[in-house]
Formats: sequence, C-alpha cells, structure tokens
Amino acid sequence: MNALITISVLAVLVLYLGLYKANKALLPVTLLGLAVALFFTINHWNVFTGPTFNDMMSYDNFAVAFSGITITSTMLILLLSKGYFEKISDHVAEYYSIILFSLAGILVMVSYHNMTMLFIGIEIMSVSLYILAGIRKQDFASNEAALKYFLMGAFSTGFLLFGVALIYGAAHSFDLEAIKMHLETNLQTGQAISPLFYTGVVLMAVGMAFKVGAAPFHFWTPDVYEGSPSLITAFMSTVVKTAGFAAFLRLFATCFYPLHDFWMPVILVITIITLFAGNITALYQNNFKRMLAWSSISHAGYMLFAIVSLGSEASYGVFVYAIAYSAASIIAFAGLVLMQANTGSDSFDSFNGLGRKNPFLAFTLTVAMLSLAGIPLTAGFIGKFIMFSNALSSMHTWLVVLAVINAVISIFYYFRVIVAMYFKDAERAELEIPLNFKVVLAISVVATILIGIWPAFLPNVI
Amino acid sequence: MEAQSTAINYLPIIFQILVALGFAVGTMAVTHMIGPKRKTSDKLTPFEAGIKVVGNARQPFSVKYFLVAILFVLFDVEVIFMYPWAVNFRELGSTGMIEMFIFMGTLLLGFFYIIKKKALDWD
Repeated sequence: MNALITISVLAVLVLYLGLYKANKALLPVTLLGLAVALFFTINHWNVFTGPTFNDMMSYDNFAVAFSGITITSTMLILLLSKGYFEKISDHVAEYYSIILFSLAGILVMVSYHNMTMLFIGIEIMSVSLYILAGIRKQDFASNEAALKYFLMGAFSTGFLLFGVALIYGAAHSFDLEAIKMHLETNLQTGQAISPLFYTGVVLMAVGMAFKVGAAPFHFWTPDVYEGSPSLITAFMSTVVKTAGFAAFLRLFATCFYPLHDFWMPVILVITIITLFAGNITALYQNNFKRMLAWSSISHAGYMLFAIVSLGSEASYGVFVYAIAYSAASIIAFAGLVLMQANTGSDSFDSFNGLGRKNPFLAFTLTVAMLSLAGIPLTAGFIGKFIMFSNALSSMHTWLVVLAVINAVISIFYYFRVIVAMYFKDAERAELEIPLNFKVVLAISVVATILIGIWPAFLPNVI
Repeated sequence: MEAQSTAINYLPIIFQILVALGFAVGTMAVTHMIGPKRKTSDKLTPFEAGIKVVGNARQPFSVKYFLVAILFVLFDVEVIFMYPWAVNFRELGSTGMIEMFIFMGTLLLGFFYIIKKKALDWD
C-alpha cells in the first residue's frame, strides 16, 4: 500500500517539478521515489495478514514479488531515458509522470483481490500506455501505434468487463475468494454451475490474452511495439507484460482454479498457437525491433505454461521467467536505443561488426540473446526449465515437446544478431555508450548470469 | 425487503420505456399525419435563428474546443462523487471527510496544473 501511495504522489510531484521548470531534477527525483517505493515493497515481504481495504486489495507475497520486479524494471528503463524524452518534445515531466501513473496501475493489477480492482488497475495502466505509444506526435508510425493500441485495448477491456459482469451474475460477487467459494460449494454439492459463469471465464480469458498479447489476440502487438518510441516499447514488453501475467495468473490460479478442467484446454490451445505464431513469424523479420515484438509474443506463450499447468511452482515459474525475460529485453532494447540514436537504423545489418568496435555492448547483447533463446547458464534457461518441468509434472508431455521445437526455432533468429555482431564485418564507427547505459547493461547482465548459475538466489516462497 | 429481485420487478421499467418510446413515436407520427403540408424551398431549409445557412457543418475546427470541452466534462463529472458523500456524510464520519478532502485536493492539483500549463488560454 505504501508503495502504491508513494508512486501516485511521486507522479504528481514530478508533474509539478516540470511545471516549475526543474527539468534537471526530474530523473533523480523519479528514481529516488521509485527506490523508496521498492523499499516499502520489499519491507512488506512475509507480513501478509489478509486482504485489506474491504477485501479490495491483497498484499501477499505474490503481490510483493511482482511489484518488486515491475518497480525494478521501471527504474532500469528510466535510467536509460536520460536525454531521450528531451529529443521528442518539451513535455518531459509529463512523460515521466504518465509512466509512473502506469506503474501505479500495474501495482493495483498485481495485488487485486476484487474484480473491480483488476479492471481499475488495467485501465489506469492501459490509458497511460495509449498516450505513451503516441508521444511522437509528428511521427506517423507512433500515431498509428497509439490509435491501434487504443482501439484494440478498448475492445479487449470490453471483453473483460463483459466476462466480469457474467461472473457476477452467476456468483453474486466480485471478490476472488467468494467466487472461488461459490465454485467449490457448487462442485461439492453437485449443483450445476450457471452457464453464465463458463461464458464469463472464457470472455475474461480472451480479455487477458489480448492484454498480454497471446495469439490469436496478438495482432496489435507488432505494429504497436514497432511504432512506439523504443523506450516505451521496452516498458510495454517488460513491465506491462509481467503485470499482465501476474494478473492473469492470480485470476486463474486463485479464483477459477476449481474449474481447471474446463478452461485448461482453452488456454492450452492459446499457448500452442502463441508459440508457433510468435516464433515462426519472428524468423522472417529483418528489423530488430519487430523481431523483438514477435519474440515477446512467443515468450507470452512460454509464460502461459504456468497457467496451463497450475502447480505449486506456477507463481515461482512466472516470477523467474519474468525476471529473466525483463532483464534480457532491457539489454536488447538498450542496444536498440543506442543503435537508433547512432545509426538511425534498426535492421539486423546495422549490428554488423559491432563485436570488434564495441566489445562490451556486443557481449551484453549476446548474453541477452542467449538468455532469450534459453541457453544454459543464463536466466532464460532456468525460466524455461521451471516452466517445462512444471508442465511435465502435470502430464503435458506433448506441450513440452512442441515448446522445445519452438525453442529450437527461436535460436535461429536470436543468433542472427550474434552472427551479425561477430562474424559479419562492416566499416563502422564506435558507438558512444553513455555511463547510464553501461550501468543498466551491467546490472542486467549480472542478474541474467547470476540467476542462470545460482537460481536458489531467488526466494521460492511466493 | 426482498433479497432477490426477479424479472417481474422490472416490469415498471419496461412500462416506462414503452410509454417514453410510444410518446415520442406517437407525437411524431400524429403531427406528420394531421399537420398541413406546404413544401416550399424556404420551408425546407434548416432554421437557424433567422440567419441564412452558410456552408457545411462538417468542417475542421480548432482543437481548443475539444480541450475545453474535455476539461469541462472532467471537472463536471467529479462533482457527482460529492452527492453520495453528502448523503452519507454522518455515517462516513471524519474518515470520509478526510478522504473527500484528499480527493478534492487531487482535483485541485489537477486544476492548478491545467491553469499553469495555460490549457485554458485561448490565444
């Protein structure tokens, strides 16, 4: 709760700092405020006593863990933003505060205990993102991204709300615990569960799949990710995706769990389509940013594993996978921002010969690509390992076989970057890497390798 | 007091809707049927307070109208939240008072922001 209040107040404070022309103080104040919020969050570890605020919110360890990742990732992305927004327009403070408002929505999304709070959290996050996608007002692609995201997002929210309404009609409550109780008592006493409930579950699954960009509801993702400014894309594909999965998992793991046999095949089909659509399309991309967009779709598929096979390890799996994916994506997007700032291009060819001129950047990008591909000794491998072993323990052998095939496909397109950097020569000037980029790259690489070789470092008690 | 409401409880609402629709449709139909019809070109032009109609209504106009309109809606709608609070003022007590002050304070911050940002300056 303190973290949520801190971030909300911080957003207003940053807005007013911009009003009084204190543009130099914006980034330090934002980072300091987020550090305070992170401290409050971590301080709340293991002190959960039950849902608070008339059972609206539930700050359990699950919420603490996911708030922790999202706040940390936001801090890393904001560290990269030094001097970035100034190039777009004069309204720098507004951008920071919109990101912070979005983060406030995300904190609500990961700690809701009532479907109204889920809706409010998703809306606070989404409305901020619609604006952020379109902050390059003169750029056609950015406009397209904002409009597309807004229309698709509004549509998916409609699905979600319709689902909530139907479930309320069947269970007479918005409260997650009460809905679960309703299901359990009905199943135990052999009473039929209203067909409204089944329809509601499917509609909510559709709405959430839209938000996390899972196929066949992923069509907005590549255009929005490509059109938005790269840093905003980094925010969307790491923080927002993590929050979406946390919300998805919380809903299905705590609330709809008794109906697992009903919705599991639905999610299973979504998972398989997502894996294939993401990976196969990513193979054909010539643009690094678009490749990252499609790869984020395929990673959504891997994260859906946790929801298909809800075991004791499901939350832990999503937690580790989200950290691994966020760290690797932040490195990749940092490289992309540097490349766009220096060469103005984001094709794979622009990475040619980077290994000789910028060994550190090339090394970090290599680690990121290996982690995204799931090669051992990186965090990505541990994430995939937990997901797959989880699925195997619930007898989804075929799913794991398909996922391994997809992991092999993904190696092709991730390795294109590595091949371009080390094995293709090109005349190029050395990229200038500012200190803040070096810090972010170093932190992310250390996190990736540390989790890769010592996963027990993360607490397994979510 | 009934805990559960059934479909029969909504019957008055259906009557209300039927009467409202029936009145609108009925009066329009009846005036068309019994009214005298003299169709001259002057009679058929849109009436705009006696001023001659100029040009097409569908043309771009300044985005400032939208800005002012959306800000008006924003601050106008917030007032609605005061009503339930005022009705339950005694029950909510000092906690409700503080919460309302925080809410109004946030609104005031936003209002101050748009004034400082010169969103309401027309030029």
